[in-house]
Amino acid sequence: MAGEQLVLTGLMAVLLVVIVGSLARIEDWRSYTPLVSGGGGYGEAPGHAHREKPGGVVRWLTTVDHKDIGILYGVYGVIAFAVGGIMAFLIRVQLTIPSGAIVGNNFYNSLLTSHGITMLFLFGTPIIAAFANYFVPLLIGADDMAFPRINAIAFWLLPPAALLIWAGFFTAPLTGNDIAPAQTAWTMYTPLSAEQVNPGVDLMLLGLHLSGVAATMGAINFIATIFTERGDDVNWANLDIFSWTILTQSGLILFAFPLLGSAMIMLLLDRNIGTTFFAVEGGGTMLWQHLFWFFGHPEVYILVLPPMGLISYILPKFCGRKLFGFKFIVYSTLAIGVLSFGVWAHHMFSTGMDPRLRASFMAVSLAIAIPSAVKTFNWITTMWNGRLRLTTPMLFCIGFVSNFILGGVTGVFLASIPVDLVLHDTYYVVGHFHYIVMGAIGFAVFAGIYYWFPIITGRMYQRTLGKAHFWLSMIGTNITFFAMLALGYLGMPRRYAGYEFDAAIAPLAQVTNFHQIASIGAFILLVGQLIFVWNIVTSWLEGRHVEGHDPWNLERDDMLGNEFTWFKQKRETALADGGEDEEESALADGGQTAEQQ
Amino acid sequence: MSEEPGLSDQYPRASPWPLFVALGLTISEIGVFIGIFAVAVFGLLLFGGSVAGILTESGYTTRPWPTLLAFGGLLAVAGLAVVVWQVPLDAVTLENFGQNGLLARGVAVVASGIILVLAGAVASVVEQTSA
Repeated sequence: MAGEQLVLTGLMAVLLVVIVGSLARIEDWRSYTPLVSGGGGYGEAPGHAHREKPGGVVRWLTTVDHKDIGILYGVYGVIAFAVGGIMAFLIRVQLTIPSGAIVGNNFYNSLLTSHGITMLFLFGTPIIAAFANYFVPLLIGADDMAFPRINAIAFWLLPPAALLIWAGFFTAPLTGNDIAPAQTAWTMYTPLSAEQVNPGVDLMLLGLHLSGVAATMGAINFIATIFTERGDDVNWANLDIFSWTILTQSGLILFAFPLLGSAMIMLLLDRNIGTTFFAVEGGGTMLWQHLFWFFGHPEVYILVLPPMGLISYILPKFCGRKLFGFKFIVYSTLAIGVLSFGVWAHHMFSTGMDPRLRASFMAVSLAIAIPSAVKTFNWITTMWNGRLRLTTPMLFCIGFVSNFILGGVTGVFLASIPVDLVLHDTYYVVGHFHYIVMGAIGFAVFAGIYYWFPIITGRMYQRTLGKAHFWLSMIGTNITFFAMLALGYLGMPRRYAGYEFDAAIAPLAQVTNFHQIASIGAFILLVGQLIFVWNIVTSWLEGRHVEGHDPWNLERDDMLGNEFTWFKQKRETALADGGEDEEESALADGGQTAEQQ
Repeated sequence: MSEEPGLSDQYPRASPWPLFVALGLTISEIGVFIGIFAVAVFGLLLFGGSVAGILTESGYTTRPWPTLLAFGGLLAVAGLAVVVWQVPLDAVTLENFGQNGLLARGVAVVASGIILVLAGAVASVVEQTSA
């Protein structure tokens, strides 16, 4: 034991020396001079600079450029989406037969837990940060984020967070399951999460805590950027809708994530130091549910508001008309942001809470449907009599609206106490929120990726593959999650690794059928996402270069956004500087617009 | 001033520090919460050093050493406070070090603080005498 400690200490010391040595090699600490423009920014470019960034891997490890960090977030988010998606597919394969097809119950619990946490914290929040990092400064006319280095720190906290959250999957085979992946479900309810002795739970909590720190740092940065870094011609009246939603989301993060972080520290202390925050003799187990959902419900809007902003921003571009009721969409965004902190106990209707409190939470939960519906009707009205162009991003926007209606309406039902008491903890809830997280948030993310793909890569994606991706996703989503709604009505409880029920409890044959239908839908979804990854990777590497700065032909309707204006300037500057051949040839073509889909 | 400009001087949109600040925070958390002494000390040293570095690079402070002194002092005081507050005095023994979780964690934090303070003090003195 002492020997092991000694080796570990030696290893750590060597590592520290290596880090200090390598830092001393690439960095000249004695040359630092205070920045003229105050902290945070780059200040004046020092005399040595001829390029903004170093080359190769070092560029990506040291960059503080918001566009690079946006790309890093994006790649990270897509990888997390792939990991979480594979976990989801394994879950669906398992549930094709009542006894469970491929894995044991414990491993199923681990998959279930990690799928939820991966998709919400490692895919959802970071992929939104990817868009926000790349495009908010461009949209508001800022040179960069207010705190570029904090921006980089926030990103670099995420890879270790992911490794910690997934750590149990790697350590379980090495340690004979002594350190296994957490089996707490993503809600980490006490006393289950406090009493599982598995250190894998501690690692997951630490990873989650780090991802929360990262999200909070990012949120502070976005708020500071939008308030203080706007260009001269951008004011509150003409701030674009995507930046409005990022601002609101950042406000929500600022109030919600530190609370989650504190609650997780309390849980870690309960687990490791013997405190009694959530023990029956201490704060009680219900305290966790209140703290968790006080974070957890705003988290839903943290995840959905920016995608709503993406839809509000992109959808009008392909309708040939401005967003209908812009002001009311902004107001409804702010209203949702405020109301989201007053609905958390609707996740706890069946816990035996005071009926008067319960009724008030029901009222606020139902009320939040109003601003959501305002947005939905405004999107539909924007499309009404518009000159629709069914490009891939537009298809995903329309898919978003369709799926959001289904996910939203089922949510209104669940907000009603009597309905919730029947459907609580069934697959109905799973179907409801997956319509939102996959059918809406996922679709908005795809819309954003396709819409801005030409700016980020300078190339166009493959149109046919994009459309195949949309239709497989739309069909797969609706088969999978509609089947889950039906399963909920049949009484199938969520989270179960198998369903060999007594026929008196649930109609087994029907439950099996709907599970199999859901799994078929998941297979269709998987094929769609494989096509997506193939399309993005191959198009990025060797796709056709965009011709001109307006690949979507937006100038015709006077709808070219600030980011495409920036793209135009970038291309012109590259040409004036004798830039790359590819861009010269694109402009030499006369700046023709790219393909119309 | 050295012949070769440092990375963040040479390239205005690059800085080596954020990666190490993030790594330092991560490793500190793992070390302190899981209770692995060497990892906790390593993480806190890396975190403290990187914070001092990034504050200097971005112009919030002119030299990194005062940050090391302040951060180290803070750690030492916080670690000591937890031990004094939560561990009975007669339990603070060498034999008990590996047994009492809170004691080991507290000592790790105090040790990191003291090392950071020493590093800051020595570097500061060396710099002033060589200048």
